[in-house]
Amino acid sequence: MSPDDFDRLQSLMSSRAGFRLTRDRMKLAEHRLGPVARREGFETVDAMLASLWARPVASLGWSVIEALLNPETWFRRDRSSFDTFGKELLPALGKARGGHPVRVWSAGCSTGQEAWSLAIAALEAGVAVEIVGTDLSQRALEKARSGAYTGFEIQRGLKAETMLRHFDQAEDAWIARAELRAMVHFARANLLDVPTDTHRFDIIFCRHVLGDADPARRGGMFDNLERRLVDDGCLFLGPDEQPDGDSIAFRPVAGRKGLFVKSPAALKRVA
Amino acid sequence: MTPRTCLIVDDSRIIRKVARRLVEGLGFEVDEAADGSEALAFCGGVMPEVILLDWSMPVMDGITFLRRLRALPGGLAPKVLFCTIETRAERIAEALSAGADDYVMKPFDGEILTSKFAEVGAV
Repeated sequence: MSPDDFDRLQSLMSSRAGFRLTRDRMKLAEHRLGPVARREGFETVDAMLASLWARPVASLGWSVIEALLNPETWFRRDRSSFDTFGKELLPALGKARGGHPVRVWSAGCSTGQEAWSLAIAALEAGVAVEIVGTDLSQRALEKARSGAYTGFEIQRGLKAETMLRHFDQAEDAWIARAELRAMVHFARANLLDVPTDTHRFDIIFCRHVLGDADPARRGGMFDNLERRLVDDGCLFLGPDEQPDGDSIAFRPVAGRKGLFVKSPAALKRVA
Repeated sequence: MTPRTCLIVDDSRIIRKVARRLVEGLGFEVDEAADGSEALAFCGGVMPEVILLDWSMPVMDGITFLRRLRALPGGLAPKVLFCTIETRAERIAEALSAGADDYVMKPFDGEILTSKFAEVGAV
């Protein structure tokens, strides 16, 4: 891969996915694009990229983008966020919504572990929820929808007891049970896109996503999350992630790492 | 602060060595036993805070050790994590009902072990 190829990949990732492909990921990018080139029928990564730059085909472009996103996730990652969600927020919101399901969005859900972890927490809290998991990557979403995880994946973050209660064993895979599946829906969405409908969520989990975002796009992505969140809703980021100067739409909740609510400025704008 | 203690029970010296490195990385002082009977003798002297336990071992297997451990004075205190190649759901359920706090399916890595220790409240 030439430096010029990498520059073009960087701007592709930024403009289409809002993703900051840092220079230290050049080797990783080359490694990840090998299987994509083979799948798409190219001899080499260089040949695939040459074709992409000469005659941009949307489907090939998205295959390349998907392969370069960061798919890393696991069950109950940053456990305290799930405890705050299940033991504090859901009981209160369930009551406030008067029996209507609490609407939860796992934004940038990758292979689905976060969405299933939210569903498990809601079942244990006994609160009705509707969970939507979205991601840019169709391949990640296929896996998320399958609800099937290897022994290696399933036990990263889940206690054996929880695993047995909510997943069925089928050969080498552990598959989410029907009661979990009834609570979660997966769809493709781009966090760069400004919402075109009025659907809003009570709680948004968007963790370890905006930390990888191109700083030039991050503010807009925060604004899009804010538009999707009800005024008294909550946003969860990764424990070390902050909107900082990117957005004035949210303010942190004291004593709850990674938890944010809308700032007065954002509420005023809506009014 | 006194370091926390973990007993690794496995008949494979190599597994014990790998597990020891991971568990020491979590800040534990580690002892080893090669089967259930050695482990039981150890626990009769001093109870470790965490026990990483293989299932199939000569002399005394893991599940027999676990049942006897839980009957000892103070034997309910240690957090016991089974750590074995046995991955059938009914065997996992058997281990949990025998008093295991959690269950690690081999193969595993440091991240899995860390998350398991966190879930049982050992770290």
